[in-house]
Amino acid sequence: MRPLLRHAPRLFRPAQSLRRVAAGAAHSTPAAEPCQPSTPYRQLSSTPTLPHTHPASAASSSSSVNETEISHFSALASSWWDPHGPSRPLHLMNPLRHDFIRACLSSSPTSTSTPTALRYLDVGCGGGIFAESAARLPSTLSVTAIDPSPTILAVARSHARRDPALGLSKKLVYLNETIESLPLPESPVGRFDVVSVFEVVEHVDYPAAFLDRVGQFVKPGGWLVLSTIARTWTSWVTTNLVAEDLLGVVPKGTHDWNKYINEGELRRYFDGKGGAWGRRWSWAWCMCPAWGGRR
Amino acid sequence: MDAVLRARGAYVCRSCTQRFQRHLRRSYASAAVQPDIYDVVCVGGGPAGLSLLAALRANPVTAHLRIALVEAQDLAKVKSWKLPPDRFSNRCSSLTPSSVLFLDQIGAWRHLARERVQAYQEMQVWDGVTGARIEFDWAPGSTSAAGTTIAYMNENLNLTSGLLKRLEELGGVSVFDSAKVERISYGEETEDLDLREWPVVHLAGGKQLSARLLVGADGANSPVRSFAGIEARGWDYNRHGVVATLELEGEGWGGEHTKIAYQRFLPTGPVAMLPLPGNYSTLVWSTTPSNASLLKSLSAKDFIAMVNAAFRLSPTDLEYMHTQESGQAGEYSWRLEHTPFDYHAVPQTVVAVQEGTVASFPLRLRHADTYIGERVALVGDAAHTIHPLAGQGLNQGQGDVQSLAKTIEYAVSHGQDIGTTMSLEPYVSERYAANHVLLGVCDKLHKLYSAGSGPLVPLRSVGLSAVNAFGPLKSFLMNQAAGNGIKVF
Repeated sequence: MRPLLRHAPRLFRPAQSLRRVAAGAAHSTPAAEPCQPSTPYRQLSSTPTLPHTHPASAASSSSSVNETEISHFSALASSWWDPHGPSRPLHLMNPLRHDFIRACLSSSPTSTSTPTALRYLDVGCGGGIFAESAARLPSTLSVTAIDPSPTILAVARSHARRDPALGLSKKLVYLNETIESLPLPESPVGRFDVVSVFEVVEHVDYPAAFLDRVGQFVKPGGWLVLSTIARTWTSWVTTNLVAEDLLGVVPKGTHDWNKYINEGELRRYFDGKGGAWGRRWSWAWCMCPAWGGRR
Repeated sequence: MDAVLRARGAYVCRSCTQRFQRHLRRSYASAAVQPDIYDVVCVGGGPAGLSLLAALRANPVTAHLRIALVEAQDLAKVKSWKLPPDRFSNRCSSLTPSSVLFLDQIGAWRHLARERVQAYQEMQVWDGVTGARIEFDWAPGSTSAAGTTIAYMNENLNLTSGLLKRLEELGGVSVFDSAKVERISYGEETEDLDLREWPVVHLAGGKQLSARLLVGADGANSPVRSFAGIEARGWDYNRHGVVATLELEGEGWGGEHTKIAYQRFLPTGPVAMLPLPGNYSTLVWSTTPSNASLLKSLSAKDFIAMVNAAFRLSPTDLEYMHTQESGQAGEYSWRLEHTPFDYHAVPQTVVAVQEGTVASFPLRLRHADTYIGERVALVGDAAHTIHPLAGQGLNQGQGDVQSLAKTIEYAVSHGQDIGTTMSLEPYVSERYAANHVLLGVCDKLHKLYSAGSGPLVPLRSVGLSAVNAFGPLKSFLMNQAAGNGIKVF
C-alpha cells in the first residue's frame, strides 16, 4: 500500500485586469469543516491585525522562512533528482501542475490562443523540478526560481547544466532569495505572468504575510498558482504516519501536520482581499507514488 | 543519401548547440570532432525505428525535436526499392489492422505500394498429427469494427520504403546511412554543461552524435542495448524459419476477395502459407536446422513437392522425405495417391517457387529485462524477439513505437526531459507486460505442438476442436489476431 496524498487546487477568477489566483489547497474532507480548534494560529486572515502575521521582530528580519525547514531541505538536496528517492512524489506530481496551469491560462476570457512568451516566478523552487520543466516549454519566455537554501540551489544549478536546453540558454535563472528579499519589479508589466508556490505554504510560519508579499509579484491579469496539503485525517495518515513513520519514503520531519492549510482557509484569505482575487474552481488530485499522479 | 534536413526551432535550440560547439572548440582546441547535440538519435532504420521517427515528425507537439537516424544500410536503395508485379520479396510480415491504423495516422500507409499488400479474411489452422482443425472464418453477417480483415500480408521492404518516403516528405531528420556505429560512449563535462549522462554515438569517419534520448531500434543483437547494460534473456528454439515466395495454381479457394491463411502444426514446428496478391503466397516453415538446410539444397521441383507435402501428407511420410537427398517430387506424387484429404481444406497446389527466394533464419525467444535506461529506450527486436507462429513480431514493434511516441509527446508537452527514466517509465509500464504475455503464449503454443506423441497430443486436439465448435471464443481469438479485441496480446 503506497501513500496517497490528496490535493485540491482552486482557482479564483477575477475581472480581466485583476490578478488571478489558482490556489491549490488540499482537500479530502469538506472544505467548510476543518481548520479551527486544534490549530487556531494557522488560520489565515485577510486582515493584517491577526496574531498569525509577522510579529515585529520576525518582520524586521524580512523573511517568511523557517530556519529549521531550510536545514531540513538542505539535507535532502543530494536526493532531490533521484527518481526513486524521497522526492519521487514531487516528480510524479509535476506534469499535473502543468495541466492545471494550462487550464488556468486557457480559462482566461482574454486568451485567444495558446499563450506564448510567459514569464514565471517559482517561489521555493527546491531542486528545480517545476522550474526546469517550465523553462523547457516552448511557451515560456523566462523562469525566475528562488529558494532560501543555498545548498539546494547548488543542486538545482548543477542539475540544469545537464540539459543544453537549460544550461546554455538564459531562460532559467536561480536566485538565492526569499520572497521578501527579492526586489519587487518597479512597473506592473515587469511582474510575472505565473507565480507558482508549490508545496511551500505548509512550510512557512506566517502564511498570510507570505502570501501578501507573493501576490505583489503577480502581473495584472497574471496568475498566482498554489498547491499544498490539506490538514485532514487522510493527509495525517498518508503524509505523516505512512510516508514518514511507517514506510519512510519521505524523510521524517518533512511535514508538520499542524502547519497544513485547508482549502477554506485559503479561500477566506483571498476573499478578504477586497475583490482583488475572483471566482474559483477546483481540481482534486491524488498522488500515488507507485503510478504517478492522477487527477 | 546524407540528407541533413534541419528542423525549425528545435527542443535543443540551434543557437545553444552552436554556442556549445564554439565553447568546446575553445576548451578542446586539439579535438578534431565535437558531438552534434540531438534530442533523439535512433540507431536502426528498420520498420520500428522509421515508424518512430515518422510518428515524432508527424506530431506537431514533437515535430520541433532535433532528430538523427543512424543506419548501416544504404537507405536510398531501400527507398527506391521496386520489384515487378509478379515478383515478391521473401521477407513478409503480417500487419494487424491496428498496426495499419497507426501507420495511416502517421501518414505512412499511403506511401506503400498498396497493390502489393494482400488482406486476408480467413485462417485455417490444424494439427498435423491428429488432424483436429479450427477454421477462422467470420460468421455470415458478422460485423467487426475493422471489417472482415484479419490481417494484411506485406513485404517488409514495401513498409520500410514507404516509411522512408513519408520521412522524406516530413523532412527534419538528419540521416546518417551506410554508417557504421564504432562505439557508444558518454559525453563530457565542460564549464557550461554536464553531459556525462548523455550517450554519444561515434560513427566511422569521426562523426559524433550526442543524444538526449538514444533509441535502440537496432535489432536482436542491439548494440544500444549492450551499451545500456540491459540483458536480454530467452532461449533458442533450435529451429529455423524457412521462407520462400510461392506461386499457386490459382488465386486460392476463396477467390480474389476472400483470401485464406493456412497453418499446420507439425512435430518439427508450424508451417504457414500466407496469401500475397494474385496467385502468390509466402511460406514460413519452422523446422529443425538440418531439415532447413536440406530444404534449401533441393531443386525447385523437389522443394515444391516438399511444400505441398507439408500441408497434405502425414508427419511420418514427411519425416521419410526429409531423409532423401533428392527425388521428393516423385515420392510425393506416389504418396499423395494414398493419402485421403479434403482439397478445399488445404492451400491450392504450389506450382512454382520464385528463384532465389528460399532462405532461412534461426528462431529464438528473447526479452530484454527492461526497455529503458537513463537516456535509452529500446523498441522492436532490440527489446524482444518472438516465435513467428502468430505473425506478431513486427506488430509488437509497432505497438512499442506507438507507445513510445505517445510517452515522448506527453513528456515534451509537460516540460519533462524526454531522456530521463522518469519520463520514459510510462512506455515500459504500458508495453512490457503486454509483450511478455504474447511472447509466452507463442512460446507455449510452439512447445505444445512440438510433441509428436504423448498425453498432450489428444488433449490439444480436444482443445482445437472445442474452440472451433464454440463460436464466441473463436470470434474472440480472431479479434485478437486482428488486433481489434480487448488488448490481451
